[in-house]
Amino acid sequence: MATPTSTSLAHTCTRCLRSRTPQLSRQLYLPAISNNRTFSVLHRPPPNYPGHVPLKLPERLFLAAGSAIISLIDPRRGDLIALLGETTAQPYFIYRLRDRMLKHPTGRRILRDRPRITSQSLSLPYLRSLPANTIGATYVSWLDREGVSPDTRSEVRYIDDAECAYVMQRYRECHDFYHAITGLPIVREGEIALKVFEYANTGLPMTGLSAFSTLTVKKDERDRLLSVYFPWAIRNGWKAESLLNVYWEEVLEKDVQEMRDQLGIEVPPDLRKTRAEIRKKRREDKGGKVNTVAATTTNEVVEEAMVETEAEREEREQREIERQAMEILERADRM
Amino acid sequence: MRRSLLHLPIKRSAWAIRTSNVARIAATRSFASEASPNPEIYDIVVVGGGPVGLTLAASLGAARATSHLKVALIEGMNLASIRDWKPTPDYFANRIVSLIPSTVKLLKETGVWKHIKQERVQSYDGMQVWDGMTDARVEFDWNKLLGGRQEGVDTTIAHMVENIHLSHGLLQRLEELAVKPTMIDKTKVEKIEYGQLTEEVDMRDWPIVTLSNGQKLGAKLLIGADGGSSPVRTFAGIESRGWDYNRHSMVATFKIEDDSAFPKFAYQRFLPSGPVAILPLPGNFANLAWSTTPEKVAHLKSLAPEDFVAMVNAAFRLSYTDIDYLHNLKSGVVEETKWRESVTKYPDPPTIPMRITEVLEGTRASFPLKMKHADRYIGERIALVGDAAHTIHPMAGQGLNAGVGDVYSLVKSIADGISHGQDIGSSFTLEPYQSERYLPNNALLGFVDKLHTLYGFESGPLVPLRSLGVEIINQDWFGLKKFLMSQAAKS
Repeated sequence: MATPTSTSLAHTCTRCLRSRTPQLSRQLYLPAISNNRTFSVLHRPPPNYPGHVPLKLPERLFLAAGSAIISLIDPRRGDLIALLGETTAQPYFIYRLRDRMLKHPTGRRILRDRPRITSQSLSLPYLRSLPANTIGATYVSWLDREGVSPDTRSEVRYIDDAECAYVMQRYRECHDFYHAITGLPIVREGEIALKVFEYANTGLPMTGLSAFSTLTVKKDERDRLLSVYFPWAIRNGWKAESLLNVYWEEVLEKDVQEMRDQLGIEVPPDLRKTRAEIRKKRREDKGGKVNTVAATTTNEVVEEAMVETEAEREEREQREIERQAMEILERADRM
Repeated sequence: MRRSLLHLPIKRSAWAIRTSNVARIAATRSFASEASPNPEIYDIVVVGGGPVGLTLAASLGAARATSHLKVALIEGMNLASIRDWKPTPDYFANRIVSLIPSTVKLLKETGVWKHIKQERVQSYDGMQVWDGMTDARVEFDWNKLLGGRQEGVDTTIAHMVENIHLSHGLLQRLEELAVKPTMIDKTKVEKIEYGQLTEEVDMRDWPIVTLSNGQKLGAKLLIGADGGSSPVRTFAGIESRGWDYNRHSMVATFKIEDDSAFPKFAYQRFLPSGPVAILPLPGNFANLAWSTTPEKVAHLKSLAPEDFVAMVNAAFRLSYTDIDYLHNLKSGVVEETKWRESVTKYPDPPTIPMRITEVLEGTRASFPLKMKHADRYIGERIALVGDAAHTIHPMAGQGLNAGVGDVYSLVKSIADGISHGQDIGSSFTLEPYQSERYLPNNALLGFVDKLHTLYGFESGPLVPLRSLGVEIINQDWFGLKKFLMSQAAKS
């Protein structure tokens, strides 16, 4: 029944303190009982910010599980990875990250200004004109090399708190800067390494869950990740200052190495170069093999010997890369 | 079972009269011999003229069994300023006390309450207490619990009275007593020692108090109402154990937005650095009690008035992360809180206090917080009451109430002793006081101390657990809430 003396408190959901404005029922002159109807699929509360979609817990769990499974199968589904990030960041992690920003003067300023990184807010031609050693130039050269744009980031929708939604958005938009400052490419291997780095740095569950996609990469890549890049990512992500507290727009003209030193990040072994070298070697070997096969038409013994040497060489190269990487890390440690 | 003080048996034993004679003789002697001034003998010497000491003097004078006793009260401060206190309707002092119904009952029985100006007393029926980290809330509201206001049921949780107002009322009551206690103010206790064996009288087990003006008082019973660092307790060799919380309590009086639409509530939010409370005063006034670290208190005191007001408003609205950050700002708090409040969700009054508009000038003050409990409340010819016996964290507003409870119990023990012809100073007479008060006080101190510890955690497993506990209490499962509230009303 309609209660004529309904106070302002009666319009507030006691669980979420969200205002329960009875829009539909007002329009249809339904009895006021619909005011007290709880949050359901048919009765979604109004959004907290433009684009916000409030979710019920089962919905959230379903979306999280679904996006996790499909993005594991098809890691090119960036939208699903983003969805996984949003659905798992609540209730605890995104608030903790927000509080970490609030405790830091720069992070606080970012939350106050809420700057967005787009191709409009950043002048890419200007960044290209900067000296090569600056963050801006590194960032833009990285964008150019990878063929991506700052506008490829989708909007946050499933984080309930408007400020936390911005934190998620900021994390997402700054992701390209993390690529730039670490130099990790957007091939799967690089993404996984960077995600683990982010997990150690931000504590967002999605970034940690991404480590599971190690299971889906090739064996040599997996070995490289586990032995070189994961140790690097965990150590650096943990001890480096929170990357969300960097006002990237203000440090574009800064020297990238200086910034790395300031944040406490060591450069990992250049993954793109390593992979290119391996590919090149492999191609050379394959070419050699074809030549040999062409020369000695059906010499099984020779071919077998070649196959053996190829496998051996690959293993040796792998060891060499690892050794180099460990050397770099050790040197960095001593520093 | 508690008997009313005024209905205690009036039976003056022969012994009591005899000792009074002794006192009179000794008093005249001290006048006669100038070479070695003998102490003036009193039945009871009360050290300390704070609310508890004054209540003790008033209760002794009001109870029939003890009204004939010769009582002296020693106070270091000037009592004249309290006696001449002239209240103005647009100013409230910063030091206020919350008097629970059982305390008010005693004050009524001793005839003090009629001297308290009711228009300057604010009672409240409800309390809102919540966790600064999780927002888990417990709502103590008799009217809600009983399903609406009921006739003939006193639903008051406590009455807020200014300290000076209460002391003023107590002094007025002392004025009208038939046997007035000797009030010695602006005088400090120089020395306490045992008396000597002379030809006339053996005073070797009597405490002799030497005052800063050279006066000497011999006490059959010396009562220490002299606060946390009690000289009487030191003299008696009674150890007081406890610890410093490393917290200070910041107090101030405010003007608030018009709250006439809402019932008067007391509000307390538990922040990890300590609880912050807003207590109601008549009209659009309110009082702050904010326990936090000494550095943060120093910061609060150094802020400009408008920044301070913004800070206190923020303390009931913003997250602890923000409050902690605001403590680093030397200025611009108004700006910063405006932004934070625009992006933070918080409930509306009366769930949280009304917005504060201004702080009354010169009302910002602070004092350190301690937890201390004396091993014993009594010794031979010694008794301790109030803060001298136990110092408590002020979060529950129980310090003075416990002190008044001590007074009630001690006066009853003395009256019983007199009616049975015992020496009022003997530990045999005082023993009931100690046994009646020690355990309840210890439980109260322990409870408040544990609350302080429990709410000191910023994160970890205890944070959700304490919130769960608060939710259970708030749902009034097992009648837990009713039980707690009725205990708090009569503790």
